[in-house]
Amino acid sequence: MKLNAITRLVAQNVKRSKKSFLMSGFGIIVGISTFVFFLGLGEGVRNVVLGEIFLVDQVEVVPKQFDTGFTVFSGGRTLDDTVVEELGAIDGVETVFPKMKFTFPTRGYGGKKLFGRQIWAEIIADGLDPALVAKDMDDPGVFRDWETDVACTEDTACPAGRTCESGQCTKMACQYNERTYLADCPGESYCAADTRQCEMPIPVIASNHLLELYNGSLATALGGAKGGAKMPKLSKATVIGFQLNLTLGKSFLGRAAKSRPLTRRVKLVGFSDKAIMVGMTMPLAYVRRFNERFAGEEAAQTYHSIVLKVDDQTRVPEVVQAVKDAGFDLADSTENAERAANIIRTVESVFALISLVIVGIAAVNISQMFFMIIYQRKRELGVLRAVGASRNDVRFLIMGEAALIGVVGGILGAGVGYAGSRLIDYLATHLPEFPYKPDSFFAFPTWIWVAGVGIGVLFCVVGAFFPANTAARQDPSVALTQ
Amino acid sequence: MISITDVRKKYAGAAEGEEALRGCSLEIEEGEFVAIVGTSGSGKTTLLNVIGGLDTTYSGRVEVFGRDLKALSDRELAAFRNRQIGFVFQHFSLLDHLTALENVALPFHFAQDTDGIDPVARATEALTDLGLGAKLHERPGNLSGGQKQRVAIARALFFKPRLLLCDEPTGSLDTKTGERIIQTFEQLNRDGYTVVIITHEARVSRAAKRLVQIEDGEIVQEGGAAP
Repeated sequence: MKLNAITRLVAQNVKRSKKSFLMSGFGIIVGISTFVFFLGLGEGVRNVVLGEIFLVDQVEVVPKQFDTGFTVFSGGRTLDDTVVEELGAIDGVETVFPKMKFTFPTRGYGGKKLFGRQIWAEIIADGLDPALVAKDMDDPGVFRDWETDVACTEDTACPAGRTCESGQCTKMACQYNERTYLADCPGESYCAADTRQCEMPIPVIASNHLLELYNGSLATALGGAKGGAKMPKLSKATVIGFQLNLTLGKSFLGRAAKSRPLTRRVKLVGFSDKAIMVGMTMPLAYVRRFNERFAGEEAAQTYHSIVLKVDDQTRVPEVVQAVKDAGFDLADSTENAERAANIIRTVESVFALISLVIVGIAAVNISQMFFMIIYQRKRELGVLRAVGASRNDVRFLIMGEAALIGVVGGILGAGVGYAGSRLIDYLATHLPEFPYKPDSFFAFPTWIWVAGVGIGVLFCVVGAFFPANTAARQDPSVALTQ
Repeated sequence: MISITDVRKKYAGAAEGEEALRGCSLEIEEGEFVAIVGTSGSGKTTLLNVIGGLDTTYSGRVEVFGRDLKALSDRELAAFRNRQIGFVFQHFSLLDHLTALENVALPFHFAQDTDGIDPVARATEALTDLGLGAKLHERPGNLSGGQKQRVAIARALFFKPRLLLCDEPTGSLDTKTGERIIQTFEQLNRDGYTVVIITHEARVSRAAKRLVQIEDGEIVQEGGAAP
């Protein structure tokens, strides 16, 4: 029996039994719509949680820590260049990026242009290799260590505040003045009090989370405050280029013992999920120099964590195991990513299972309907056998009808599930802002549509399998006597 | 052409000794018009099903056009019924949701080799030959008993089979209509079709050139046309 003949007969049969098929197809529509809805929700949540909050393609290694119940202290191996090399050799690790935190107090002030008033704050900062965040930057060239030598042939090739001398960009001398130092150097360079030279602001990046947290929490909380206490909501575009003065080696909580404080300016040049969660991140070389100045040689050689970028997400578990075997712990962010991934997977599985149970019940219903239809069409099936239908032809006809219900039910169900997701997204626009609130809570990659329609067809065909076999085995000579 | 040798058939659940066919043997030549007569329950329909390959659960040997039906696979048997045999049943056995044209073209959908046949043209021709050219797109519900039976005959003739097996084809028709159907079979036989009709009606058996009487599953008499 040819495919077009099956299609034609199936369509004719479905058309005449449309009431029965509509009743049975309803269950499939309900099941597939919930299936598509929850899988879409799971994917959407996964995208936000694992794509923005916890990154799952990287592992952050920290020294082994011991929790006594009263306090936690590090007792494992120190993270230094030897360890960086060792971790880089682990199978599956693509790149290794050490991170180093400030090991001295720092405070910052500024922000009048942005917030309408000067803000003073304790500053937390760390440093990383600019290559780690190059992909996240619109212009990777701006996130660099300006202290390194810059070769030149003429002044225009040098950054602001430097002139070209003997093939090298050399810092210009300046007269530091408490009130006028801002204007004493050209361009965006400024006159540093300690060196009396024009310095480029230290480029820093911030985490996407920080902006989300600020807009979703602080700006919202102070949105109704009186007068100057109000904080505006910020976009990335408005804060890029924002500058802040740092007092290194001194903060509200204390000061560094090893050296006198100094003032430097920082400039926000971009955002990256690899930046420190709350604080600012600058090129590693700056942190290394400052740590050496304020905390000593050892602080300049010791990393606080090492980020391992894994070549394939599926290899993360084996890399994690290798890290643990080497005597290191995972940073909370990595542990949390694993936990979050497991929770999402579990919740998604539970909802998918519930949906499949609904589709399964619909399949049982379809099975019963086909048994009934076969009983009603018994003589007709006998006639088909008499005019030349084989057992397989009869089997294909019944299962073809079931498959058609599955296709139509699956497509309609997927459509209803999608419509439900749009409704939820629409209702969510009326919810107050909160951190990481996405534009849509749902994501529908192609595989969800394929799975939705595919499972609809599969369950219908499985449901019709036994009735189809019964019909095929029917003795035509007996059927014709009905 | 049709050779039945010592065929025995017992239905499942039948009591010991209650056979539907008890050692039937029969030869039918190509071009014959044979009427199988007998009382209700005598085994006529069972014999027809066996000849038509609808029932292969018998003992003995049935050869039709030189092929042992029991030796054929389900697919081969289906193809055999499709191309070599046309069935006509008492209650017409038309599919109510299809038009006359679609009913007649039904065998085409199950053909394993369609030889470039245009099913619509062939079905139209068959229906027109039987005087139903104006009823092509009518559903069976809108046709009279005689028209339905002619649609069923057109379906049986779709592939121009060598053998027509008819089970009480006039049983559901009034006398006048039944006469016309009998005349149709006579004409088909004159056209070269081999016709085997099961009947308990004298008018049908009179039209046949040969009579086979069956009683309690046994062929008890064979002879020429009924007087």
